Amino acid sequence: MSNVTFYDRVEDALNNEQLKVALTRTTSKLGGLRLNALASLPDADGVRDRARLIRAHTISKLADYLEQFAANVEKMGGHVHFADDAADANRIVLELAKQYDIKTVVKGKSMVSEEMHLNHEFEEMGVTVWESDLGERIVQEAGEMPSHIIAPAIHYTREQVGDLLHDKLKIPLSHDPAVIVGHVREKLRQEFLVADMGITGVNFGVAETGTIALVENEGNGRLTSTAPRVHVALMGIERIVPTLDDLSVMLQVLARSATGQKLSVYTNLLTGPRRKSQTTGEADGPDALHVVIVDNGRSKVLGTELAEILYCIRCGACLNACPVYQQIGGHAYGSVYPGPVGAVLTPGLRGIGPWAELPHASSLCGACKEVCPVRIDIPRMLLKLREEGHEKGLAPAWVKMGLPMYRFVATKPALFKFAIKASGFGARMLAKMQGNGGWLNKLPPPLSGWTEHRDFPPFAAKSFSEQFKNRK
Amino acid sequence: MQDSRQIVLDRIRSSLKTSVLPMARASIPPREAAPSRDYAAMSQSFQRDMETVGAKIHRPANDFAAVDLVVDLIQELGGNDILAWDDAELPLAGLPYALHKAGIRRADHRIPNDDIGRKQKLAALGALRVGLTGASAGLADTGTLAMISSPTRPRLASLLPMTHIALLPINRLYPTMAAFFAAHPAVTQDASNLVFISGPSRTADIEMTLTVGVHGPKYIHVVLCP
Repeated sequence: MSNVTFYDRVEDALNNEQLKVALTRTTSKLGGLRLNALASLPDADGVRDRARLIRAHTISKLADYLEQFAANVEKMGGHVHFADDAADANRIVLELAKQYDIKTVVKGKSMVSEEMHLNHEFEEMGVTVWESDLGERIVQEAGEMPSHIIAPAIHYTREQVGDLLHDKLKIPLSHDPAVIVGHVREKLRQEFLVADMGITGVNFGVAETGTIALVENEGNGRLTSTAPRVHVALMGIERIVPTLDDLSVMLQVLARSATGQKLSVYTNLLTGPRRKSQTTGEADGPDALHVVIVDNGRSKVLGTELAEILYCIRCGACLNACPVYQQIGGHAYGSVYPGPVGAVLTPGLRGIGPWAELPHASSLCGACKEVCPVRIDIPRMLLKLREEGHEKGLAPAWVKMGLPMYRFVATKPALFKFAIKASGFGARMLAKMQGNGGWLNKLPPPLSGWTEHRDFPPFAAKSFSEQFKNRK
Repeated sequence: MQDSRQIVLDRIRSSLKTSVLPMARASIPPREAAPSRDYAAMSQSFQRDMETVGAKIHRPANDFAAVDLVVDLIQELGGNDILAWDDAELPLAGLPYALHKAGIRRADHRIPNDDIGRKQKLAALGALRVGLTGASAGLADTGTLAMISSPTRPRLASLLPMTHIALLPINRLYPTMAAFFAAHPAVTQDASNLVFISGPSRTADIEMTLTVGVHGPKYIHVVLCP
């Protein structure tokens, strides 16, 4: 990580007018679509309860299900590799590239590959990597990270996309999404048809059948897992469901929560490589399938009070619902996984040390838990992480200073009463001076940090204890 | 190749001893059986959802009308050469002969095993404008086609061309994906690829503007065969 702090990135994001427009458009639209899509499901609450049961049960027997999954992938002719961490996973994938004499790679969307910085590793080795998901390709050409789990380039306007792709892909200049997409189709089609290796993520691995489920809308996942002679699928250890029936339950809530679709355009179920029977064998498909199962900190998270975050199915609904994400976008978090899920997952996977601010990037309003298709209690774990940060002396300065001060005042009733009166009086005076209809847009230090990016609400004319006394 | 399998599995087992896992039960309770198959209701629901996502549904009165419709569609699209499933996989008696009579040729869709042959074949198939397939099943509650790969059912026919024409006999409709799985428990063992298709290929990656025809078909015609 660079020495740009979380607060610097937040500052930048809040001053970025274009980002503000893009975020408002996207998050509100996705939020609305999600509600309509869930309404189309008979007993949506019941399905979400069942989805939660499935995730909880699976994680509680994760090692057994992983063994079953791996055995079945192998039975169907695929290969399975376990990777301890990102470096291990990179080593495995690069060795495969060598083994198969790979010159070019076409890639579908994979968050695990972002954890690995895989594209960078391939470049070092002299292998060309083409991202094929449109949003991923935009951020790849821009030299950036995705800013949203399911919409990687939501921080870009159509004009920026048109200019960037004209410059980098040498396609004709246009600012019309339909025209841009038409040119991208032609350009990327050539890549799909000549690439030696296809790399994708995995949405779910089905233990009972050894099937990989890959969910997508563009068709790039289908092409990536069909056209090249080698398919490598990267999956986190937690991405397992026991049965096909369980998979059908998860799919009922995944697309609805992510993009408001009943089902994504393409749900690919891939079981082993292209069948080669003695007679003819299948018409097409990859000759070899390698599934790389990546731990990279997850098994450590599993042993803690943050284990529930492993129920996550990466729909991105908590990002869209989060008032903090809506303001600052994904890049401000500085981590591969942004938003509420990232604020728990990142300190969990990588350690709280460099990520102690992330659990504070939340108002604990509970919107994330409310929209989560598997009802993950994110606020509970954010509090847990704040506690851990505080115990390790990593809490932000205002918490370190403010809490002892508050304790000193609050444990002395007379002083507390006086402090309330004085602060109410002071706040009303300030508000009058600032003339904002009672709202404070500037507080004196040490509270100035609070008003740097938001206004403080008006104080009531009488304190709660005064009102309570008068009520009697 | 050395492998971290045992290290990872051991660490998971050790972590599970201290895990906090809300709602974790020893087993997942069974659920109600899928609803029965009411074909009229299913085809209505299938059609509504497919049309919502921009596919075109055709409901010819009989097989003769269906054959004429498919030939006309292909000729309108200017596809003298098409990427198609094999004769036996097209659930319309008379269609192969009608295609032949109309001068519509079907490309050899078998991808060779060698690298150069593979890429040449892919380039040739990638230039075709129309894909013609049957459908292994339809899912009524989401408006979805299911395609199962085989020697005679190439994956690429529903993927490479700009237009995909799918023939779906109404008696292959299932109310839900769960019902389809229940009726075909071995479906993933028989084929390397089962794909559920719910509408034309699409993206919303540019400003959340819905745009169709990204990498897969832009136009989908489903012929519901009686």
